[in-house]
Amino acid sequence: MTAFTARRKISSFVMLGLGIASLVFALVLDCLGFKFFITVSGRNVDIRGAILVAGILLTIAGIYLFPTLKYHRAIVYGLFLFPLLATFLVTVIIPLFFGIGYSFTDWDGIRVRNVVGFSNYLRMFRQPGFLWSILITFLFVFFNVILVNLIGFLLALLCTTKIKALGFFRASYFLPNLIGGIVLGYIWKFIFSSVLTNLLATKSMLSETPTALAAIVIVYIWQYGGYIMLIYITGLTGVPADTLEAASIDGASPWQLLTKIKIPMIAPTITICTFLTLTSAFKQFDVNLAMTNGAGSVSDFLGSYITNGTEMLALNIYSTAISQNEYALSQAKAVLFFIILAVVSIVQVRTSNKKEVAL
Amino acid sequence: MKKKILSVLLAGAMVSSLVACGVSTGDDAASTTNTGDATTTETAASGDAIVLLNGKPEIDEQLQALAAAYTEESGQAVEIQTVGGSNSATASDTLKKDYQAGTMPDIFVAEANQFANWEGMLADMSGEAWTENTELEYVNGDGTVGFPYMVEAWGIGYNADILEAAGVDSSTLTSPEGYKAAFETLESKKDELGLTAVVDYGANATELGWSTGTHMFGQYLDAGLSAGSDSEWFDLLQDGGKIDADRMTQFAEFIDLIQQHCDETIATTGNYDQETALFAQGKAAFITQGSWFGANLTGSDDYSGFKCGIAPFAFADGIDTICGGATSYWTVYADGNVDAAKAFLQWCSEETAQKAFVNECGFVSPFNTVSDIPSDPFAEAVNTYKTNGKLSPMHTFEKKDGLQNDTSVVFEDFAKGNLDVAGFVETISKVCEAYYAQ
Repeated sequence: MTAFTARRKISSFVMLGLGIASLVFALVLDCLGFKFFITVSGRNVDIRGAILVAGILLTIAGIYLFPTLKYHRAIVYGLFLFPLLATFLVTVIIPLFFGIGYSFTDWDGIRVRNVVGFSNYLRMFRQPGFLWSILITFLFVFFNVILVNLIGFLLALLCTTKIKALGFFRASYFLPNLIGGIVLGYIWKFIFSSVLTNLLATKSMLSETPTALAAIVIVYIWQYGGYIMLIYITGLTGVPADTLEAASIDGASPWQLLTKIKIPMIAPTITICTFLTLTSAFKQFDVNLAMTNGAGSVSDFLGSYITNGTEMLALNIYSTAISQNEYALSQAKAVLFFIILAVVSIVQVRTSNKKEVAL
Repeated sequence: MKKKILSVLLAGAMVSSLVACGVSTGDDAASTTNTGDATTTETAASGDAIVLLNGKPEIDEQLQALAAAYTEESGQAVEIQTVGGSNSATASDTLKKDYQAGTMPDIFVAEANQFANWEGMLADMSGEAWTENTELEYVNGDGTVGFPYMVEAWGIGYNADILEAAGVDSSTLTSPEGYKAAFETLESKKDELGLTAVVDYGANATELGWSTGTHMFGQYLDAGLSAGSDSEWFDLLQDGGKIDADRMTQFAEFIDLIQQHCDETIATTGNYDQETALFAQGKAAFITQGSWFGANLTGSDDYSGFKCGIAPFAFADGIDTICGGATSYWTVYADGNVDAAKAFLQWCSEETAQKAFVNECGFVSPFNTVSDIPSDPFAEAVNTYKTNGKLSPMHTFEKKDGLQNDTSVVFEDFAKGNLDVAGFVETISKVCEAYYAQ
């Protein structure tokens, strides 16, 4: 191995220095709101972005040429990961911290005037409407996790038997999941408030808060049941045929086959499906928006009259920002939402790991 | 060797994609330019076009034409950017994005309750010549910041042909008794006139919450007041969401009267299309919508061309005004090209442009520089109230953002019979107080 030439060392350091300098220069300009014009054929062109890109490229080149043997491989790996990492940083990590920061201010979507500490967090827990949203979201999640899994599993059992037109059934159960939630919500709103009312001559299910919530649960099951069914089918077809055969030769009834062999063997699938439904039910937004947009009255909840009877957490966050123009408050609610989902996900990862070890 | 070439190629691709990203961000301003014929020629004419952000897609073409005409006359290029659909949230979202990106338009659309967001960032237009020709400009602590470009108004719309056939004189509709008599007459002649319901009223909060929560609630705030003079009930509301129980009781009794003569299904579960269809088919004599409804009416296949009018929302004796004014304004961004923007707005207030607004866009003009009236079925009524000085203010657009979502649910509960008059008054007071307290 030869030592690095002086030329290589110098070019690496110069590139690194220049690159970092122009990066910092461009970012500082941007943060201070200045532009950097040069005149090209009579037109002013803002080259702030160009300086930033040049800075990034020079820095990358400088790092690549960095005179080290020990870390060269790691540097190359890092460079290849850079595009994805940068995208992840810009679209996920930076907004996350910005969002948390905004929740401590009086941000109105345009500018921050004051830092208000925890007052947004205190305010949101004093809103009966928000507490109601949390309550119904948990109820919704509870009913959904049970019902979607139950129905998905039953459909999967049906679709792993030897009935005719199996492919047709599988496809048609899965089909609702391919329709977007907004479209689905509008279709079902039409069914509930126009079709069913005419057929059964009853009041629309969407007209009262409890039935409207039930309607959203029904639509959600209809949308999600087929998807969960598909996962259960994969699990069920993975159960070894010889085990089942051996058991039935030993005289096990179909019920015993189901409870003693099939269900224990697909335990990991059950875990996956439970958490899939759990997280997606928490995030329920589009069907909720299209079907009721959160409206619905509850005459007495914690001593007040609630007007957002069918508004779940995600929709509450949205309407706090968009229709009430309370961006900072909405951001604080979003942080709470993030914490809830993070806890669910961590529990999910923990339990899945344990199950895998047990198997 | 091959490997080396491949790696060089790959690295080159990565670098060029990065460069491409960088270049396209620098060029953003130019690439958002509309592709309409008018704008492309203008951007070629001058590099310093003033940009107008329009929130009404239905008048995009007309504005492009207007901008072209202005460019021809003055040499100043105007670029029209149109965003949004049925709700204004999209225009204000675009503005938030533009503000962060530093690409604010010189002129942009704003509604009354959005001016507070831009406090200290808008150009004061007081003293501009056009302010002499209108009374509907928006003025706040920053000065005259809103240029009105359209007038909307609402009370209770009616089908003049049906009223005439039933022998009801629309000039008697200025008191609850007058309405009661008219409703009862029409109710007794329902079969003869082919009516399904006397009043076309929708209170489903999901579908028509904007109608009840904003417009009808606005009648409680302002009906009967003369423009610019008073804001008694609005001030009370702004003071912690207080409601005047007496006035609200009269208001609730009037709504109750409407509910006794409306179609129950439409009132509780109907949407705007169903409401429109009922009135357009001539199956209802009254409708709780305003001048904007004219466009829906003429766009409906069921509409036979009957005459329309607007009567006051007379829940108390002597209310002879309808709520109305500019519901949407253009405002000038202080850091933009203020002089050119002001000159363009001045030109817009003058006769040529106003004629185009009236005849091409179908707007009732907020200026007295033009006497034309659009062909819309409600335009004549609005214009008559305007010229007679019978437009009440519209403080409903300045109440705390989002209150309409809460009050509209109370209206729906009232329509469903879950609340009586006293219950409605009590609940709506509670809801307003709670909303202002949070």
